[in-house]
Amino acid sequence: MLQTIVLKEISDYLKCQPDKITLSTRLDDLGIDSLGAITILYELEDKLDIEVPNEVFDSLQTVGDILTQIERIIAQKAPV
Amino acid sequence: MSGLGCISGLGPNVPVFWGALEGGHSAIRALSGIDSDIKIRVGVQIDGFRPESHFSNDELTILDRFSQFAVVAAREAIEDAGLSSGGSILANAAGVIGTGCGGKQTDEETYCKLYKEGRSRAHPLTIPKGMPSAAASMVSHHIGIRGPVFSITSACASGAHAVIQGAMMIRSGLVDVAVVGGTDAPFTYGLLKSWEALRVVSNDTCRPFSRDRSGMVLAEGAAMLVLESEAHAASRGARCYAELAGFGMSSDAGHITRPDTLGISAAIRAALADAELAPDAIGYINAHGTGTEANDLAETESIHQVFGNHAHSLAVSSTKSMHGHALGAASAMELVATILTVKNGLIPPTANFTDPGEGCDLDYVPNVARAVNVDLALSNSFAFGGLNAVIAVRGLS
Repeated sequence: MLQTIVLKEISDYLKCQPDKITLSTRLDDLGIDSLGAITILYELEDKLDIEVPNEVFDSLQTVGDILTQIERIIAQKAPV
Repeated sequence: MSGLGCISGLGPNVPVFWGALEGGHSAIRALSGIDSDIKIRVGVQIDGFRPESHFSNDELTILDRFSQFAVVAAREAIEDAGLSSGGSILANAAGVIGTGCGGKQTDEETYCKLYKEGRSRAHPLTIPKGMPSAAASMVSHHIGIRGPVFSITSACASGAHAVIQGAMMIRSGLVDVAVVGGTDAPFTYGLLKSWEALRVVSNDTCRPFSRDRSGMVLAEGAAMLVLESEAHAASRGARCYAELAGFGMSSDAGHITRPDTLGISAAIRAALADAELAPDAIGYINAHGTGTEANDLAETESIHQVFGNHAHSLAVSSTKSMHGHALGAASAMELVATILTVKNGLIPPTANFTDPGEGCDLDYVPNVARAVNVDLALSNSFAFGGLNAVIAVRGLS
């Protein structure tokens, strides 16, 4: 579910089909620069009501990195 | 001056713009698409402007409306000058773009989400898209200018100050070519409410220098010019419209909104001195001519102060009566009009003119264009805050 949302957001940004993107795809190989990554994160933060801290931003190299970080953030938000 | 570009409510390019000025056609209309609680009801919007006809979706993500206009006008100007986007001439050129407002549409969309909708995040492109220098960056990006590029802001004189800055860089030898002009897109909720509060905007039409004038009329758009040194233009066989003969600048150092005849006169005198012209050499003045009482009286009085008896021999018209007051773009549009006046031997009129206002005793070329050869003309631009810029234009023999 979360993976679908992330892939869709990135594909919307790139205006391509989600199946063209895999978790191992590097963002720069998709032509997503830092401003593009910030824009994608902004949309995901809005949709998922989360906040991605600045500290993790530089570690986001692949599509999977984004998914992993968002899963972690959502898990931390969940009630114990 | 070897290339002209203009997108305004009068039309999408310079030939249509000039055709409307020749015909004395005003583009002032009822505003569409604005909130019902805005009291300003008329303006000059660019009907039928389709950004997607000029830019890809990707490009539009970073282009505020004021940047879109700037790039569209700059493209026309460089094509008109016979220059190619990304070519070596433009790579070494300067770009100076005036704006009075900056990317207000972008800023206000974000502020609306934050203040009104209670959202906690601003869109990450708000700063790069809305910053006042965004239009200059986008012009540079889209047509490949790699020399000195920046924005100038001096409210309603921004375009004229930008032109002068480009001319100064050419004079100094820093560059051979400069793409200069102004752009603004002021039809946003917050900006309209702010103009409404100043009580200077007309709710019917713009009648500069007329007794029944009711204020200025806001407009959007951009105008751009290609300036180049005489030697550079000659070396490439460029077709030139006119010579930028000189310029003058001054500041009133006074009231934030009320113009001062001393400051205005100083700018006109400085332009004449820079161009080494006697006052009686001037045949036409494209007036700042906003249609407010404060401007019309101060401008008329200043023309008397500088030109003495010759004031009554001058033709003075306000083309804002037709293209509206496009703020940072207005002075660049008016310079385009002044250049084409000199080139075509036709003075555009002051449209909507009825009877002269008290103290307005010059020849304002009422309502009908006048065919007359003009060798030397001035374009007057005066801004809130008392920032004045006057450009002298000489026809080519």
